[in-house]
Amino acid sequence: MKDETAMIRSQKLFDEYCLQGRRSFLTNQASGLGLLAAASMLAENKVQASGSDLSPFAIRAPHFAPKAKSAICIYLEGAPSQMDLFDPKPKLKELNGQKLPDSMTKNVRFAFIQKEGARILGSPRKFAKYGECGMELSDFLPHIATCADDIALVRSMHTEAFNHHPGQLMMNTGTPNFGRPSLGSWVNYGLGSPSQNLPGYVVLSAGRGTSGGTSNWSSGFLPTPYTGVLFRNQGEPVLNLNNPSGFDRSIQQASIEGIKNLNALRNEMVGDPEINSRIASYELAFRMQSAAPELIDLKSETKQTLDAYGLDRDEPELKASRGGGKGQFHSFASNCLLARRLVERGVRFVSLFHASWDHHSNLDAELKQNCLMADQPVAALIKDLKQRGLLDSTLVIWLSEFGRTPLGENRGGSANVTGRDHHPFAFSIWMAGGGIKGGQVIGKTDELGWNITEEPIHINDLHATLLHLFGMDHLKLSYKFQGRDFRLTDVAGKVVKKLLA
Amino acid sequence: MVKNCISCHGVEKQKGGLRLDSGASIIRGGNSGPILIPGKSNESKILHAVRGKDPETRMPPEPKVLISNDQSALIATWVDQGAFIAKQDLVASSVVKKTPSTHWSFQPLVKPIIPSDSSSGWVRTPVDVFIYEQMRKEGLSPAKEADSLTLLRRVYLDLTGIPPSQLEVDAFLNDKLPGAYERAVDRALASPRYGEKWGRFWLDLARYADSDGYEKDTGRPFAWRYRQWVIDALNADMPFDQFTIEQLAGDLLKNSSAEQKAATGFHRNTLTNKEGGADQEQFRVEAVVDRANTTAKVFLGLTLGCAQCHDHKYDPISQREYYQFFAFFNSDTEVNIAAAPLPGEQELFAKKQQEHKSKVDVIKVSLDVRKKELGKDLADWAAKLKPEGVPAKLKPVISVEASKRTDLQKNDLINHRVSLDEKAKGIQKQIADLEKAAPAPTMAQALALGKERKTNIHIRGDFLRKGVEVDPETPGVLPAPITKEKLSRLELAQWITDKENPLTRRVIANWVWHKFFGRGIVTTLEDFGTQGEKPSNPQLLDYLAFTLGDNNWSLKSLHRLIVTSAVYRQSSIVEAANFKKDPYNIFLSRQSRVRLDAEGVRDVFLSVSGLVDQRIGGQSIKPPQPPGISELTYANAVKWNESKGLDRYRRGLYIWFQRTSPYPSLMLFDAPDSNLACVRRERSNTPLQALALMNDVAFYECAKSLGVSLANADLPLEGNIRRAFVTCLSRFPSESEMVQMKNLFDQFRKHYGSNADQAKQVLGNGTDLKGDVVLSAAWVAFARVLLNLDEIIVRD
Repeated sequence: MKDETAMIRSQKLFDEYCLQGRRSFLTNQASGLGLLAAASMLAENKVQASGSDLSPFAIRAPHFAPKAKSAICIYLEGAPSQMDLFDPKPKLKELNGQKLPDSMTKNVRFAFIQKEGARILGSPRKFAKYGECGMELSDFLPHIATCADDIALVRSMHTEAFNHHPGQLMMNTGTPNFGRPSLGSWVNYGLGSPSQNLPGYVVLSAGRGTSGGTSNWSSGFLPTPYTGVLFRNQGEPVLNLNNPSGFDRSIQQASIEGIKNLNALRNEMVGDPEINSRIASYELAFRMQSAAPELIDLKSETKQTLDAYGLDRDEPELKASRGGGKGQFHSFASNCLLARRLVERGVRFVSLFHASWDHHSNLDAELKQNCLMADQPVAALIKDLKQRGLLDSTLVIWLSEFGRTPLGENRGGSANVTGRDHHPFAFSIWMAGGGIKGGQVIGKTDELGWNITEEPIHINDLHATLLHLFGMDHLKLSYKFQGRDFRLTDVAGKVVKKLLA
Repeated sequence: MVKNCISCHGVEKQKGGLRLDSGASIIRGGNSGPILIPGKSNESKILHAVRGKDPETRMPPEPKVLISNDQSALIATWVDQGAFIAKQDLVASSVVKKTPSTHWSFQPLVKPIIPSDSSSGWVRTPVDVFIYEQMRKEGLSPAKEADSLTLLRRVYLDLTGIPPSQLEVDAFLNDKLPGAYERAVDRALASPRYGEKWGRFWLDLARYADSDGYEKDTGRPFAWRYRQWVIDALNADMPFDQFTIEQLAGDLLKNSSAEQKAATGFHRNTLTNKEGGADQEQFRVEAVVDRANTTAKVFLGLTLGCAQCHDHKYDPISQREYYQFFAFFNSDTEVNIAAAPLPGEQELFAKKQQEHKSKVDVIKVSLDVRKKELGKDLADWAAKLKPEGVPAKLKPVISVEASKRTDLQKNDLINHRVSLDEKAKGIQKQIADLEKAAPAPTMAQALALGKERKTNIHIRGDFLRKGVEVDPETPGVLPAPITKEKLSRLELAQWITDKENPLTRRVIANWVWHKFFGRGIVTTLEDFGTQGEKPSNPQLLDYLAFTLGDNNWSLKSLHRLIVTSAVYRQSSIVEAANFKKDPYNIFLSRQSRVRLDAEGVRDVFLSVSGLVDQRIGGQSIKPPQPPGISELTYANAVKWNESKGLDRYRRGLYIWFQRTSPYPSLMLFDAPDSNLACVRRERSNTPLQALALMNDVAFYECAKSLGVSLANADLPLEGNIRRAFVTCLSRFPSESEMVQMKNLFDQFRKHYGSNADQAKQVLGNGTDLKGDVVLSAAWVAFARVLLNLDEIIVRD
């Protein structure tokens, strides 16, 4: 026996189980895991569950007092251009059409750019200073600009990966490799989730599919219940939530009751606590059948709120190959609003995905369209959270897998340059709420936006900071897998103190 | 150096592959190459390291210890004078000695002595003796034997993945002679369903999928050919050593067959990144890394991958050894074999091809006939042509007098006329269409030896930073292979299955054991290294491992040994006394209740509802899945064209596995993501599983089918309920269960009695109903409850 405490705990469980009868376990939690498996997993990884509740979503104490209780991660898949949105580079305009010195591109691997003919591409965007802090932002983001004093803008992010799927894995799971748990999985594994009727990790998606697909919200080697649960903003909110035709709520209730009674009889014969988990899962499934539709039903929201998020804005026509098609504006705005509703209901981690921002060409028109879609609802979300007193405990993050090149993209030697290639060496993200010190810009890039000149922040540092905000030490939050203790931050990561309020 | 360096660069540790305790190894250098250039101290790494100011790269790394200027000057002088090493030092130290490991799994495998039997009759096989010995020591006593129907269902689920049929249950209950159980075991082992069940287990290790992975995630239409090979090989009980060799190196066997080449599909399940702008060399290297890591994990239980960036932190494997292992796969290339016919397919294919050829020939004749017809009045026809209306080539031809035209010119004219003739065009199209539909042989993905590629150590695992060159070699901690000039993948495979190799048989025996008890003797199936768990019963493990090798590596014999043992046949009922002493059931004083694997859940649903398709093998299928799943893939590129007819009802292992949007009910029940080899699945228990079993289209279809067949059966209520129960759970209901079920059915009947419109909705259109709608709807609702019982998806 590896861990004495696990054994003692499971003995205690069995005693309780014998004493209290068959329905005492795992009554209120959003998901189950094999009971003994849970005991073993938690003990082996030194995660402390409160009381005897071994559900994977049982509330667990953080390492120190947290600032954030929930997070909303807005993931703009494909990599928005930082020099067109967050990091003004007037020099690029000045040098538009000129070649970069060879010394800068030597040893650099590009996805598509042909080094020989590559030329600097200036940005037509106009930047202005916003908020008391005077944060410089682009004219594509007029709404987010009004939240400047709540935002910590990081202009010095860097990563290793320069292809989308590995890059997305890096940003969402901390390494460019498959099989690692995503951010939301780690946070729920560390802390559990207060939500009674909804999963602790919810994913909402708009636009077209992402490069990473479901691997972006995978639980990796962590148990399956920590996988992000995909919610849809209309129709059936959760997969298989609706009963088959001809099964109303009363017959569903009778069925669940019947399943429970027969399972309980079986348990009297075989005495397996796992059956109690099964019973609890069916009861929670039944509760979810009303909680999830209630969640996506926006009837209780005021017109003012709906308008603030821009649910029913006009969506300009734009024929673009990488757009997500008609209806994205509504979809994205609904997801922002649902994110707030999820957080209100105690969901620990919400991930919003939108694809795609991969503007290799036609950047000006397509980035404009995407910003038109995202700017207003994201700003509304921050303000809405703030007004409801939730922003202090809710971390809002805007991020992507990497940035875009100061060079125009000349794929195949093309002279018609209208976009930018992938750029992992310097890009921008921002955070707000949840213990973040707003109204500041962190990091600087050189005048071309090519390299970082001040305060480089690696993705592992960002993740370390995120866990810190949740009251967790990234060095201590680990999971033993295949003979090694794995962390979200792999073998690196430093908390960025400057980001903290 | 002795004082400052050799704690990291000596006999115990060789960080960066560097040893500084002997002349020869100083000259040889480390993983990144030589550390000095004789005569040039300023260009020598060793001096950069000891004189460096950067705390990250300076040597020695601890801030306190610094090499003094005098000392470094001494080194510099020595280097500048030619770095002379006395000849005897070079000879004496050229053999690098390694301390032999004392870790249990690296020790030779010897047949353990079976202890004398002290069990007072409990023991059925030698396996039980080892188990009983330990149970006694721990103060535990074995559980009583499971009742015979539970046992039958257990062994059928474990060996074939589907519950025993009604016929099998009857045959078993009517076999009153001793050995009835053993005969049932033999029937299960002989069933071709065995290959499907154990094939799926193996596919977890092979990280099998039907698509490339990564952004584009292109489909792999012939991936299934490898799955087919696995199913056939297991059904034939191919000796496991041969099974291993063919998968790792089937292509390198002398006169290798298409079948043996298809076996190498094992290592074709690596990911492929076709994302635009991806560095192809980077992802080629990643595939090779995966091949090396998977081979070590699956067959040797080694976490070799930990040595990709630096020496293994815990196990005696250096980074150099990692790249020596990597080198076995580094020259491989991916090939698609144009013809890898399935057994029996070749004759059929030849026949089809012949038929097709004659069909095409007949039509070709009709084209010739038409050509002749058009040639008859060619001159008259050509006379009407105007120069501006003909292709440039023909312009001079039409101006030539008809009788003076050469044959070539006439031919050009005919061809032109044919190209304008509707009838001829029709025939040509017919030919083209037929040729497109020519019978194609089955293809296969395989591995082959490509152009020889040199292997370098990758400094810190970065493929762009090349260190010293290495040759293929097996890890030094294990017995060396019979030496050969340069080892190939084939020698690697033979070394893996060599009787001197202590790991393979232990790892495989443990893997097999795990499938029957839900827990390995070594619980870390993938890690037999120093960080893995120790075996809970080392003698038993070695007995099983030894027996596997001794029985010509027959997996079926090993299965039989295990499932006929007393320890396997125990009841899984949890007894408080034993539970308190051994809550995890490490010492196996009972069987364990194990939730079925994802595919198993589907298989049971399909089987008990009578829908399951009986065909073995073949292409992957796409059963109904909820909308919005494939849309999650990159740019919605994946199309999920639902399978029709019987294909909808094929077993779970045949479901098309799309890596970036896998079939959701598989993932809900913890199917692996197929990106890396998976030796052990999770078993979660979640509300989303409950929702799927109740409402998912595919699962509900089973409930409905079962319900309708119950409704159509002309049996009294209680008899029908009992029949349904036995069909689903292979046992008879208790009295209280019967009462519950009758009440429930009554409730459903009343509900639909007063909600007839709902009853109609339940049945929908096109259901073949004999009985009354209300009763039928109640039976469907009832079947849905039965199929959602915990016991349905559990092996007791």
